[in-house]
Amino acid sequence: MANIAAKRIKREFKEVMKSEEVAGGTIKLELVHDSWTELQGEIAGPPDTPYEGGTFLLEIKVPETYPFNPPKIRFMTKIWHPNVSSVTGAICLDILKDQWAAALTLRTVLLSIQALLSAAEPNDPQDAVVAKQYREDIQLFNLTARHWTNVYAGGPTAIWEFNQKVQVLLDMGIDEDQARVALSTFDWELERATEHLFS
Amino acid sequence: MAGYFEEMGWRELEDGEQPDHLLHMARFIFEFGFNEDFNAREWPKLPPPASQETVKNLPETTIESDGKSCPICLKKFNIGEKVTEMPCNHQYHTTCISIWLNTTNSCPFCRYELPTDDEVYEQFKRNKKRSEQKQEDLAVLHNSMFS
Repeated sequence: MANIAAKRIKREFKEVMKSEEVAGGTIKLELVHDSWTELQGEIAGPPDTPYEGGTFLLEIKVPETYPFNPPKIRFMTKIWHPNVSSVTGAICLDILKDQWAAALTLRTVLLSIQALLSAAEPNDPQDAVVAKQYREDIQLFNLTARHWTNVYAGGPTAIWEFNQKVQVLLDMGIDEDQARVALSTFDWELERATEHLFS
Repeated sequence: MAGYFEEMGWRELEDGEQPDHLLHMARFIFEFGFNEDFNAREWPKLPPPASQETVKNLPETTIESDGKSCPICLKKFNIGEKVTEMPCNHQYHTTCISIWLNTTNSCPFCRYELPTDDEVYEQFKRNKKRSEQKQEDLAVLHNSMFS
């Protein structure tokens, strides 16, 4: 790895460890097998959002050309959000693409991703299905996001009705994640989700 | 009428110069707002590098106080160290900022933009400024009539 990238990540790591956010538990940063090219981030779901109470893990890959190019970041924890792919965890955020600036750090990027959870951009979606639900039925979107937070990120609120419906599909021999995606996509209408899965 | 060409961002044809019909078509589309969707967006990728001339002429200053660091490599500046200063007063190691400005044209800290050598990008910036100016003029006109 290029010298400047490794040195900067080391300095950043020190900065993050001293930061208020780490002390307050809202973000976390860890090394993955002691290399400076791969890290694991963690953000807490912001209060007053469906993600509240959840803990979301992020995969961070630092390119050779860092900080002149942005780090590659995706959600490892599954999440229902218009700007994150519900399948791959890919994030649509301008500062991770064309609005990157070399003075941004892993700390500021993690805080930006956390801010994205509080303020989605449905007009610049990563996941068109999620964005459509967000625009057309925000209440159902909030419930779905809360359900995903409960199941995948350790959030506190279980949605009993949704769990029941997933169980119905599980009993038909369908994979759990697949069942959840299908139900979420078809606004929790069991019939349409089943039809889709078996067509 | 001197202001007309200026306002539209056009210029008069030179002697013997033929009109460029493709350009007129493009202007037609532009003026009638068929491109609104496209135009509302930002430059679709990272803006081009700063012009080499500008980078070469950025002033060098000497660090006089303690505690500041280079926003690119995050290393602390030593007192007496020579650094490069952007027009927005942000200071960087000369090598750090030259690599960045060779990628894109703005201050990594505050996004202050330096000129580029890219004609297409410069045109995009001029158009954007012009449409912002138009909006502002409209607002002023509106306020003068209705407030």
